[in-house]
Amino acid sequence: MIVRILTEGQYKLSSNYLDQLNEIDNKIVEMVETDNKESFHKLLEEMLNLVRENGTPVPIDEITESDIVLPEPDITINEAGELFTGEGLVPD
Amino acid sequence: MGMLSRMSTIVKSKVNRVLDSAEDPRETLEYSYEKQMEMLKNVKRGVVEMVTAKRRLELQAKKAADNIAKLESQARQALEAGREDLARMALERKQTTILELEGLGEQISALELEQEKLTHAEQRLQAKVQSFRTQKEVIKAQFSAAQAQVKIGSALSGISEEMGDVTLAVERAQTKTDTLKAKAGAIDELVATGVLEDATVGDPLDNQLRQISSSNTIENELAGLKGQIESGKENKSLPGGES
Repeated sequence: MIVRILTEGQYKLSSNYLDQLNEIDNKIVEMVETDNKESFHKLLEEMLNLVRENGTPVPIDEITESDIVLPEPDITINEAGELFTGEGLVPD
Repeated sequence: MGMLSRMSTIVKSKVNRVLDSAEDPRETLEYSYEKQMEMLKNVKRGVVEMVTAKRRLELQAKKAADNIAKLESQARQALEAGREDLARMALERKQTTILELEGLGEQISALELEQEKLTHAEQRLQAKVQSFRTQKEVIKAQFSAAQAQVKIGSALSGISEEMGDVTLAVERAQTKTDTLKAKAGAIDELVATGVLEDATVGDPLDNQLRQISSSNTIENELAGLKGQIESGKENKSLPGGES
């Protein structure tokens, strides 16, 4: 599958990692809900590194759609929160 | 719903899907290509704005550094003239200016980071747009409208996603620059009026602790300057006493 890390680029990653990604994703949502900044950043880093370390970068001139989009590495817990409340990052 | 599925929705909705909007899908290709060129111009403009904003901050930082040296020498002059009150005032200003300089340094690094990201985004988009252009020409030359429809689907959605990503990056960079500009303006004004408290807007406890440490610093510096001036006098009087 193709995974995009926003502002960073796309990676080809075996779909075997999908469950792992979803698991971390669920934990991240919990951390956002309980406003646990430290764990939020740790989990986010873990999720991005999973992709960076096990995936191979898609060539820069290859045009392909992603199956999964991960947030930018420097997203704040507040910005992540806004994703869920439907404010801020949602386009008009 | 997890963050990942939200992310996908957001990126994809950032760019209007142009697919199916034209009768001949080959026109859609042209339209999308125009949009890509516009986007590329936008990112380039974003990078230039970032560089300009950074340069402005660097000038401000240089001014602040000059000011610190000036205030220090003013404090010394005031002490030599026996005006401890003026010396203290100069040292207080110096403390404020040091805070300003620290803040500016942080802002400059933040801008540098944004500039780097945007430049990276520009390079990626540039490569993708070039490759899209080639694909577009091939499709237009070799396929009928019906065949083209099938061929361009994935190229279009892929490039739309890339543009969505870049759009988000540009928006974020813009917001950050605006915030920094506003902050820099506010600090400038506070320094001009010599208000230290408000220059350190934030946690009240933090502010108080900072003020205590800042007034300690001022007293220490004052004592240090006095010492220097005293020993300067002694040094001057020593040779005279010996001869």
